Amino acid sequence: MSTVLAHKPLGYRAASAGFALAAFAALALADLHVASLDPWADLRRLLAGLMRPDFASVLPLSIAYTIAFAVLGVGLGAGAGFLLAIPFARSRAVRLFCASLRAVHELFWALLLMQIFGLSATTGLLAIALPYAGICAKVFSEIIEEADLAALRVLPPGTGAVSAFLYARLPDVAANLRHYTLYRFECGLRSTLVLGFIGLPTMGFHLESAFRQGRYGEAAALLAVFYGLIGTRRLWVRPATLPFLAVASLLVLPATVGTTDIGAGLARFLTHSIVPAPLREGALADPATWTGLWAWFAPILTGQIVPGALQTLVLAQIALVVTALGALVLFPLTARRFTGPLGRPLGRILLVVVRSTPEYMLAYLLLQLLGPSMLPTILALAIHNAGIVGYLMGRHADGLAYRLDAPKGLNLYAYETLPRLYGQFLAYLLYRWELILREGAILGLLGVATLGFYVDAAISELRIDVAVVLIAATVILTLAVEALSRRLRARLRIATLPTRLSRPLTDAGEPA
Amino acid sequence: MLARRAALSLLAALPWSLGPARAEGATKPPLVFTGIPDQDESRLVERFGKVATYLEAKLGVPVRYIPVKNYPAAVTAFTNGQVQLAWFGGFTGVQARKAVPGARAIAQGAEDAAFKTYLIANARTGLGSSKEFPKEAAGKTFTFGARASTSGRLMPEHFIRQAFPGKAPEQVFSRVGFSGDHSRTIQLVQSGAFEVGAVDYTVWDLDSKAGKVEPSAVKVIWESPPYPDYQWTVRGEVEATYGAGFTERLRQALTGIDDPAILEPFGRTRFIPVDDAAYAPLVEVGRSTGLLD
Amino acid sequence: MPHPPIVLANASASYRGRTVFSGIDLTIRAGERVALLGRSGAGKSTLIGLIHGQAARDIALVPQAAALVRTLSVFHNVYMGRLDRRSTLHNLRTLVRPAKADVEAVRGVLARVDLGEALWARAGELSGGQQQRVSVARALYDGRPILLADEPVSALDRRQGAAILERLTEHHATVIVALHDVPLALAQTNRIVVLDAGGIVLDAPARDLDAGTLARFYEAAA
Repeated sequence: MSTVLAHKPLGYRAASAGFALAAFAALALADLHVASLDPWADLRRLLAGLMRPDFASVLPLSIAYTIAFAVLGVGLGAGAGFLLAIPFARSRAVRLFCASLRAVHELFWALLLMQIFGLSATTGLLAIALPYAGICAKVFSEIIEEADLAALRVLPPGTGAVSAFLYARLPDVAANLRHYTLYRFECGLRSTLVLGFIGLPTMGFHLESAFRQGRYGEAAALLAVFYGLIGTRRLWVRPATLPFLAVASLLVLPATVGTTDIGAGLARFLTHSIVPAPLREGALADPATWTGLWAWFAPILTGQIVPGALQTLVLAQIALVVTALGALVLFPLTARRFTGPLGRPLGRILLVVVRSTPEYMLAYLLLQLLGPSMLPTILALAIHNAGIVGYLMGRHADGLAYRLDAPKGLNLYAYETLPRLYGQFLAYLLYRWELILREGAILGLLGVATLGFYVDAAISELRIDVAVVLIAATVILTLAVEALSRRLRARLRIATLPTRLSRPLTDAGEPA
Repeated sequence: MLARRAALSLLAALPWSLGPARAEGATKPPLVFTGIPDQDESRLVERFGKVATYLEAKLGVPVRYIPVKNYPAAVTAFTNGQVQLAWFGGFTGVQARKAVPGARAIAQGAEDAAFKTYLIANARTGLGSSKEFPKEAAGKTFTFGARASTSGRLMPEHFIRQAFPGKAPEQVFSRVGFSGDHSRTIQLVQSGAFEVGAVDYTVWDLDSKAGKVEPSAVKVIWESPPYPDYQWTVRGEVEATYGAGFTERLRQALTGIDDPAILEPFGRTRFIPVDDAAYAPLVEVGRSTGLLD
Repeated sequence: MPHPPIVLANASASYRGRTVFSGIDLTIRAGERVALLGRSGAGKSTLIGLIHGQAARDIALVPQAAALVRTLSVFHNVYMGRLDRRSTLHNLRTLVRPAKADVEAVRGVLARVDLGEALWARAGELSGGQQQRVSVARALYDGRPILLADEPVSALDRRQGAAILERLTEHHATVIVALHDVPLALAQTNRIVVLDAGGIVLDAPARDLDAGTLARFYEAAA
């Protein structure tokens, strides 16, 4: 089938080179100073702790809470995401709404939701469910859009929309939706760690405390258990176990201590907290109110949004390219064809460790080793994300149908595997780009002034109005990156649309 | 929007979001309190657990402690009414009372009337201790504690701005980080990850005693002038919930603590009465540093 | 079942800016059995698309690719031929627990394409030839008067293909089928239309033609 594309297709080579060049340009703007340090006293304690994990200190209930928050948070998020996915492609408003949900880090969602729901399970669940709804809506919609439409096109004319969706679309995408949701559950487990930061009793609560206070034996035990949860996820999170997990999760959720008036909290949040300070008291008809608003907004724009967005892009661009290189090295370690029967389990364990170690820990370790600059931030983000992309690529590599006489080793990698995975690889990277933008937010420890750094500051100063403006700026940045990545995907034709052979030609051909 | 609203109302309807407190309806609802997570968590649980037991016996109402791990989360729990009593730092207390009309400071530690910040430096910087603010620290890397900490952020920022008029900390130092808490500030300066840091003097003393500080690697180079810091702040409606005069009873219960086992984890010798006016200087500092509107 | 004739007058088709053919005149009356022949790329599939556009309501379609829902069972794929004639509720219920009558009806149709035993297999697990026969079964079950099929037996051997084609012609009043197997076309249809170079180069009753005459339209390609 010959197709004439509106744009000249872009080669993988050109796209990759473009990314690398942009990262090089970003390097010039990045502060990568390495300080000479003496971190060994602390690191020795860390290593000694890792050698002697203190499993007795792990509270079983915290494991249950971790699973419960992940199951219900991701469940709610995926459910809402599915509903949002249906109008996603057609409605700009829905896309904007979903981008807003995604652009806010779980930690900030938790802090914002706390204003309304207090420190409660509701806050924790929604803090996961809201961003996950935004992410799932986008990905589900892509899965549905990219589904094989052949069967839909041969349905007898007059078939009802519901029947058509249930027979010709859903079965084709159901497996993909299921896989993606179950994979999201792994991410959900990671997200629950962040809930510990505000005081919800997940494993993250204890892990952060233990790590922060140098109780490394306890931290090691918690990490080991967490790696175990992630590594065995495919054994215990299955369609068959889900009903049980969901019910058990509902029962196990922690009770709230104290009460909050949700109605009053919501009213205060909507009519006071998020309203820009100059508008709260000033009369709307009074021009002085509006000059006041500009006087309030201008320093946020010039002092935080513009430099913050620049730093964020520089950081994300470099981290993305380092992630790419890391993933290319890591993924063969979990792919059947590249590892022996001994190497594969080891490779899998390595990737579980790499992708499940929280970024703030990596960042703290790297900060101790390299000193404060953008470098530890870049490496922390890149290591974590390379683990995730490597894991996903490894699974794709195992799904490839190689011919019987396929070469081995580096030849297999270079001629058979990588060329077939490269489109998928770029798609993952474009997607991680957006996530890296977001994740940079919680690494304020390192003093890299990204947008998230300023959001953190605004929330600490209880300036929710400023935080909302900064979050809006993050949403715009996210949308811009998404639009760019969508354009790139189209030009690269990463979407590998299934051939639509039985498309009735009446809409393409014009009878004269 | 619709889906989100539906999810919210669904969640609000679930029993656990109301919590167990309402189930006890017949008796008084528990007095819930929290404290800012300024240092070692295990110490926090230890110190507040003892306070809960003590207050419950003294006041005759159920008292619960909820741990919060983040400064804004602690203040938010207070502003949305989930907790009625909180052990705040000077600045978080000012933030909380500003957001909750009727809330007042009732007691502080005897040491909190004249609290101090230490500037500490890695030995390799060669910075020595001085009476005056060590201006030669300019250009080094610098870490505060938590962003909303009084001794780890607000006051040191104030003193930095005084020493370098017209300059923000980011312009004085080559890099400014926020370690998150005082113990970690000490660790990061000790390892040299940051060259200079600002730390709560009580935490420095406690960590030094606990052997976590390596004297050859990190030392105090400056001691700040005194300022008011930690205090107990209570919400106004406790009078309505637990009866008129409850605030005063609470104040007397707190200032009446003489058990060293309770006071020691706080690093305080006793609690003394205090009122909002004592923190007026912090409001000023908050405004001048731009951290408060 | 009578249906109005299909009339294409001076029809042309372009696909994404490229003209596939133009100036096509073709009328197909009820009861005719038409074979569309021509080298690959001659525009058979495009012509089939045009015909489908003309009379979609009367057509049971067998597309070139089997166009099955790979994750559904063979039963459900065949059942989809009549989705439009059942209530949404019944369709929903059939997805979970099919009615006995439907199962028997579908089993009967599948038996006609020699697939009776594969009722509950997943469509995606079948071989290419089997998938093609499921696609044919779906059109048989659909039962609309005009069968429009694009290479419906290309993955089958000649003997099996002839048998399947025979069943198709038995159950539909009008048959329009694109083929590449000339003897099969001569045996199973009564009108031959040959496409080449963007136009109809031959339109004649099958009984007036033989394999030799038709061979030249293919040889020219070599």
